Amino acid sequence: MPERLNRREAVRYLGGSRVEMNAEMEKLMDECEAELLSRARPRYIYKMITLPDERVMSGEDIKKHLKGCGSAVLLGATLGAETDRLIREMQVRDMAKAVVLDSLASVAVEEVCRRADGLIAAEHPDKYMTFRFSPGYGDYPIKLQKTFLTLLDAPRKIGLSMNGSFLLVPSKSVTAIAGLSDSPVERQRRGCAVCNLRQTCKYRRNGEHCGF
Amino acid sequence: MNTVDFKTLLKKKEFVLLDGAMGTLIQKSGAKYEHAPETLNITRPELIMSFHRAYIEAGADIVYANTFGANAYKLDGSGYSVEEIIRAGVANAKKACEGTQALTALDIGPVGMLAEPAGAMTFEEAYEYFKQQILAGADADVIAFETMTDLYELKAAVLAAKENSDKPIMATMTFERSGRTFTGVSAASAALTLTGLGVDALGVNCSLGPDELEPVIAEMTKYTDLPIIVKANAGLPDPSTNEYSILPDRFAECVKELLPLGVKCAGGCCGTSPEYISRLKEMLSGELFISYPKAADTCVCSAGTTVEINGPRIVGERINPTGKKLFKQALVDNNIDYILTQALSQVSGGAEILDVNVGHPEIDEKQMMTRVIKAIQSVCDAPLQIDSTKPDVLEAGLRCYNGRPIVNSVNGEEKSLSSVLPLVKKYGASVVGLTLDEGGIPKTAEGRFEIAKRIVERAEALGINRSDVYIDCLTLTVSAEQDACRETLNALHRVKTELGCKTCLGVSNISFGLPNRELVNSTFLTMALEEGLDLPIINPNLDVMTGAVRAYRVLSGIDKNAREFIENCAEAAPTAKPKKTETVSLEAAVYSGLKNEAAQAAERLLETTDPLEIVNNMLIPALDRVGEDFEKNKIFLPQLIQSANTAQACFEVIKRSLNKSGGESVSKGKIILATVKGDIHDIGKNIVKVLLDNYGYTVVDLGRDVDPQLIVDTAVKQNIKMIGLSALMTTTLGSMEQTIRLVRETPELQNPDGSSKCVVFVGGAVLTKEYAMKIGADYYCRDAKESVDTAKLVLG
Repeated sequence: MPERLNRREAVRYLGGSRVEMNAEMEKLMDECEAELLSRARPRYIYKMITLPDERVMSGEDIKKHLKGCGSAVLLGATLGAETDRLIREMQVRDMAKAVVLDSLASVAVEEVCRRADGLIAAEHPDKYMTFRFSPGYGDYPIKLQKTFLTLLDAPRKIGLSMNGSFLLVPSKSVTAIAGLSDSPVERQRRGCAVCNLRQTCKYRRNGEHCGF
Repeated sequence: MNTVDFKTLLKKKEFVLLDGAMGTLIQKSGAKYEHAPETLNITRPELIMSFHRAYIEAGADIVYANTFGANAYKLDGSGYSVEEIIRAGVANAKKACEGTQALTALDIGPVGMLAEPAGAMTFEEAYEYFKQQILAGADADVIAFETMTDLYELKAAVLAAKENSDKPIMATMTFERSGRTFTGVSAASAALTLTGLGVDALGVNCSLGPDELEPVIAEMTKYTDLPIIVKANAGLPDPSTNEYSILPDRFAECVKELLPLGVKCAGGCCGTSPEYISRLKEMLSGELFISYPKAADTCVCSAGTTVEINGPRIVGERINPTGKKLFKQALVDNNIDYILTQALSQVSGGAEILDVNVGHPEIDEKQMMTRVIKAIQSVCDAPLQIDSTKPDVLEAGLRCYNGRPIVNSVNGEEKSLSSVLPLVKKYGASVVGLTLDEGGIPKTAEGRFEIAKRIVERAEALGINRSDVYIDCLTLTVSAEQDACRETLNALHRVKTELGCKTCLGVSNISFGLPNRELVNSTFLTMALEEGLDLPIINPNLDVMTGAVRAYRVLSGIDKNAREFIENCAEAAPTAKPKKTETVSLEAAVYSGLKNEAAQAAERLLETTDPLEIVNNMLIPALDRVGEDFEKNKIFLPQLIQSANTAQACFEVIKRSLNKSGGESVSKGKIILATVKGDIHDIGKNIVKVLLDNYGYTVVDLGRDVDPQLIVDTAVKQNIKMIGLSALMTTTLGSMEQTIRLVRETPELQNPDGSSKCVVFVGGAVLTKEYAMKIGADYYCRDAKESVDTAKLVLG
């Protein structure tokens, strides 16, 4: 984990990117960041698969996303059960802090994914890598969560599983697939077009973007 | 039929050899299977049997049937039932064992879903999954639970085994280098809890190689007298070749090095093969089993925290409705957050164990005990003392508790002894023994000592260790009977020195009816500690009480170099006296989120101003201003929440004054909040709760993943007209719709003309106004602020 987390991103998750930063908020974020970084136990796991692989194909969007890729990497990342627990505990102790922790944790898990991206890229210096694409994006069924977790052996390897509604537990976690190609791929932003939340998104409503 | 069983094997053999990996062999064989490797039990029985035979030839005394993941959750969609797969798996192993002395273990791994509180699988659901597997595997010789990372899930498994079979149980968990499992379980807590539950052998499997397991096993063995199992991985796999890093010779050597820690059963996990087992056999032949006696004193624990009772330990008394109006109200209102706040503040104050008593005539105590224990354990790691006079409540608490708790209490009455002690034994707890019986509380120390002795003897007859009985010699009120204090202390002294038990005492009773109670309490506490008190039950938020225990630990040489004492004093010291602040107005304090200043301002105002006028003309407008600034992007959401919490502090002050004067309530009406069934993301709902609370509404928070029926029942029972529902995911919108439908269809929630009595408002990331209307909601609220606006509209 890095020593500092991206505050702009955290503030964006809080729906506050239009608010001018003030000293009180800065102090609150300092405290929460220190607490989160000391308690989180980030873990990740990835696995290469050869394409085409029926198990992970469903819908049109993923086809587009992996177009031209001969292989792909499945990724699972989590901040661990401790982070969920910390946020739960803080919801009793101090709700304002809990909200800040929650958004910082979202930043942190993305940070863990980026770190894994870096390692994967380094292991495949001759390949081009697409963005990460996750079950639940566009028409890519959230039900594939179970397949991802099984293929990665994620419950056993990094303590990542899901509940009956396909929500990941621990909640500050990500599963994703990224394609690897011999020729340059268009690193298109995942963007609002494939996002299921585009109708209701609070960032869009404010003319912002969530960053994905 | 085998002539030996697991227990004889443990006695007869120097070491019990287990098999190695099944998955690795299946993978290497290249055998193709659909859905799950356990289906090979039916499609390729010969192949599976050949693996078992290879392990038996290598020397394994026990082979694990290929049933690790054969549960209803993982097999769903495989086309096979749990019974088919497990019966075939056990039959294959048994056939392979034929003509040898080897035993068959029914192998059971984790369900594959995370249990509560981290996940959504309830304790009871986990139990049912395991029960099905255990019944299906009735032909096996022994049950082996392995690769467990959650002690709570493992407890459900062990109980399922104990209650549905009489087979011996082996239980192993998987630890990381940190010495903990993925869910934060410590090796100490695992050993204590599993020993208490009555497994036959326990230990470690998977995760690490045998070269890295020494610290974990060393910790485990300190807390148990049971045989230790080691079934390690062959080191770590190389990500590209998938070859494991530790070869058979080295593997066997590493296991041998672990023998002084009391290792009795050894085998292999991922990456091992028959060759590893035969090397292990060679290495162990000629070696002698080295018993490692339990080193720790009596302990209690949660999943992550162990408290060894090797000196006075503070038990927090505050989770108890006796004499506490607000606490009683919280129980009636199902206000679990209030109780959680009590739990966390006691731990901050210095409590090491928390007593939990939720007895109140107006509620279902059994249900409440389960709910409160689960909720406390989801946010707080202190071990708990389950406190009730009713055995069925105690059992409900013991069942759902994660770790090794204390039962409070048993007494010398026959009825109590015969109903409580068996529960203590079954669930592996320790127990508080009250020195009273059918004849009441004996006046003399002698009389109380006799009852203590009887309790200890009865406990021992059931196999409960006497060090796990904590005798309470009972504090009587000194203002009523002055001599009684000496009798209590004398009894305590005798129990401690002659019976070899631990002791416990509720302290605060002593001073009832006297002025300056704290002084009397702390003096009595010090006297009792000197007589050998181990578990003072006190209010840990009073510095003088906690301080007395800490000082005693220094003076009696328990707190070496006064390290803890100094640490705690440093924490308690005020960081530079705050500047004498100018008095801040209520409005300004609320706006800036200054809790103390706001409460003080409210108190000042109460001297001259009517409480309701403060609420309506100052507090609410101040909150409104914060709300407006939030909408205008002038402040951040957490700052809005801080202001709301500050207003809450003012409400508390005002409520107290109203309660005193018996004036009208400031509650503007009750609202139910719940995150719908299946959904576990509840932070949004909780933000709404904070705001509604602080605008003066009484929120009945039913939590997350809430059954529609519970929402309806609560609305009916408490006559609540407004319900807020939250769902974060598209996948759980269905349960939102279902909940609304149930609200509309319930006759008790309808007016005589058939219209609905309840107003339902909904919110959540994936909702739209259109969708909210379509599923029958009355209001859609896009954020917490709008929820307040809606409440104002509906309830005023």
